[in-house]
Amino acid sequence: MAIEFTVNGSPVEVTAPEDTPLLWALRDDLGMTGTKYGCGKALCGACTVRIDGTPMRSCQTPLASVQGKSVATVEGLRASHPKLVETWVKNNVPQCGYCQAGQLMSASALLDDTLSPTDEDIDRAMSGNICRCGTYGRIRTAIKEAGEVRT
Amino acid sequence: MNMTVANLSRRRFLQTSGVLVVGAAVPGCSTGPMPSRNATLTPNVFLSMAGDGTVTITASRSEMGQGIRTALAQIVADELEADWSRVTVAQAVGDPVYGDQNTDGSQSIRFLFDVLRDAGASAREMLRTAAAAQWGVPVAECEAVDHSVRHAPSGRSVPYGDLVAAAAELPVPENPARKSREAYRYIGKHRVHVDADDVADGKAAFGADVTLPDMAQAVIVRPPSLGSEVAGFEPPPDEPGLIAVETLPGVAGIGAVFNPIGGVAVVADRTWTAIRIANALDVQWTEGPNAAFDSAEFTARLRESVQADGERLWDAGDVDAAFAADGAEVEALYETPFLSHAPMEPPVALASVTEGGCEVWAPVQDPQSTRNLVAQWLGLDTANVTINVTLLGGAFGRKSKPDFVLEAVELSKRLGRPVRVTWTREDDIGHDFFHAASAQYHRAKLDAEGRPTAWLQRTAFPTIITTFSGDAVDPADWELEMGFSNLPYRVANERYEYAGIQPGVRMGWLRSVCNIFHSFSANIFIDELAAAAGRDPIDYRLDLLGPSGILDVPGMQPPEGHGLDLARLRHVVERARAISDWDAARAAGRGLGFAVHHSFRSYVAVVLEVTSGDSGLSVDNAHVVIDCGTYINPDTCMAQMEGAVVFGLSLALHGEITMSNGRVDQDNFDGYPVLRMSESPEIVVELVPSDALPAGVGEPGVPPVAPALVNAVFAATGVRHRSLPLRV
Repeated sequence: MAIEFTVNGSPVEVTAPEDTPLLWALRDDLGMTGTKYGCGKALCGACTVRIDGTPMRSCQTPLASVQGKSVATVEGLRASHPKLVETWVKNNVPQCGYCQAGQLMSASALLDDTLSPTDEDIDRAMSGNICRCGTYGRIRTAIKEAGEVRT
Repeated sequence: MNMTVANLSRRRFLQTSGVLVVGAAVPGCSTGPMPSRNATLTPNVFLSMAGDGTVTITASRSEMGQGIRTALAQIVADELEADWSRVTVAQAVGDPVYGDQNTDGSQSIRFLFDVLRDAGASAREMLRTAAAAQWGVPVAECEAVDHSVRHAPSGRSVPYGDLVAAAAELPVPENPARKSREAYRYIGKHRVHVDADDVADGKAAFGADVTLPDMAQAVIVRPPSLGSEVAGFEPPPDEPGLIAVETLPGVAGIGAVFNPIGGVAVVADRTWTAIRIANALDVQWTEGPNAAFDSAEFTARLRESVQADGERLWDAGDVDAAFAADGAEVEALYETPFLSHAPMEPPVALASVTEGGCEVWAPVQDPQSTRNLVAQWLGLDTANVTINVTLLGGAFGRKSKPDFVLEAVELSKRLGRPVRVTWTREDDIGHDFFHAASAQYHRAKLDAEGRPTAWLQRTAFPTIITTFSGDAVDPADWELEMGFSNLPYRVANERYEYAGIQPGVRMGWLRSVCNIFHSFSANIFIDELAAAAGRDPIDYRLDLLGPSGILDVPGMQPPEGHGLDLARLRHVVERARAISDWDAARAAGRGLGFAVHHSFRSYVAVVLEVTSGDSGLSVDNAHVVIDCGTYINPDTCMAQMEGAVVFGLSLALHGEITMSNGRVDQDNFDGYPVLRMSESPEIVVELVPSDALPAGVGEPGVPPVAPALVNAVFAATGVRHRSLPLRV
């Protein structure tokens, strides 16, 4: 059946099996490839999107569960969180870049909740997102700088 | 870009003549009276300048996070005297016109530095010559500055774009003058990565991000042990979206090179449909001898082998007599486990096999070998095979083995449509080309001052050569040269021995390869000797190292300028000591650990600080000093060291792959954890300014990390660990 929701503010409709994880609906049905497959088990955070504001692992989110909801993906982040994207690029955070969509989505949620996050806040919010290249220190810096800009 | 490439000589990529391409870039554009804007200056395969002055630099190496697309462009743009904002970077297909493209061994800059300087300089010289001719003045009076040529005596200036048509008619200079180091504007300077914005926008294209019309999605149920064949399976019920179920032949066992390991491919219209059906498929297998492979039994054999005489690499002085003399002895056995690469992007490839040709889009480290293997697989001429290299979502050596590409090629051929093969994380960790498990044995005799008078070292590990030749046993010289046969501590009486054992799984190279276990044991053993001698570990090392000169290693002839320079090694040791405040006392429960290693022609020293308390062990900070010779992008070099600390701590604290009955016991990030944000220390990196030859950056930061951690834990707790991962 058709599932209707919004992605980055635009209404979309996906007709796919209801158990299809949102990740694959985004990638295969909507052609939005910014959100990445990393583990399929909500262990690595590469597929993180925000659903009604909450960071969620889209690989474990059934398509049917987002009916009527608002989904935010990395493709909309420069519009919604320009300072975060700016500090991210300025600090040359990405190495290979593959995990970065998930990192950015988790970071954006943290900053929406916490104006100037502490190291502990960052550890708590970001430890579900693995980066194999090891960009953690720069992620921390970029989040703090984006937080400072906001306050 | 690729069209242009195809027209160039395959023999000498720097000496092709200028190509004037008229009207090619803008379909429908007039080719009449004003051709200059449509001209393209293409003096070599690495750069092309359009008539509007925009520059396309082609990166011949694969981007996997090491910043290579940016660094290569910096070199060309610098010599070209280009305006960085007018430079875009294209990615080369696999083609020998670019020279070696194998992105491996931390050698891209080392191989390409001079080649790319000449590539940029040749275009710059052609533009200067064209301007001089236009003005009727000597070339020597024309200076290339910031995307234009200026003639100071007359005050005239012309933008590069206006010179492209004339420059394209000129011969390409054979030996263009290179800039002096002082004149560099991009080399050695910070640049944000060219792909950073695309990554942050979710627009960067990785292996799974290319789509083709009519593309099908495949997921493969892979054999439980290497060398299994499909015996049968219950076909899945037909359902909308299921396209095909295909049996793929297996391989005989190790020695299968990069051939796919076989299995049952589920092909569907959507990735999820393929995953779901594949997960439910009950496949029966005929297993081979590797079904008995057990890593615990294997590591026990490794352990035994280094406690007996091995094959002798060399023997200096009189080792037996030195050990027979009076004095203290120290001996220790070290072990490291199998590891999986686990790049964040699991292997993935899209192939489209058509009548007489094949095109691939995949994250591969070596598009040329991929192209050759695909051509061989299909019985095609390589000219009919195109390998497009996407961004690599991490690789660490895994993606130089293109078995996943061949799977997509085979399925596309069978189905007559484009097929993308997605490896699940379980496929990736369970069916990797694994980093070798190892055992190292060290024994030393100490004199009254605690200095070693005799040294015995043995290494045992399954060689990577087993992946290429199923009957290989002995390690290759290049494996032993990774931190074993080229240890910088020379002792008058020394003996080095090795042993190899055949594994029951595929071996492959993983970021820094054998340096991981050789640096591990040597750096800890030196620490143990220092402790036995009651000496500071850094003082002790400095005493053992010669004061200067190039390390003389029997049987090794490093290229000129790339020998192990003891003064440079000592310098990184001293700098790490200084920036980590090594000599200041630490509180109880805190400890500092040191390690230094020379690999990939670079010198890296690491100090880690740990705290051991009621809540366990925390790694508080890392200080890293690297001397990689001439560097291109300092920020990238620092980022690679930061990443190396995280990668090294991942393997030291968590990394372990085990096998039971030929099956890998781990299959995802729960069983095979990697370091997370909360475990990541603060990292300070110092980059040694140097005008030495460029050396490696991507790998050499990893080897010192794990031993520095072990040494720090010893300093903090008095407990000496000798195997990985650390059980703390």
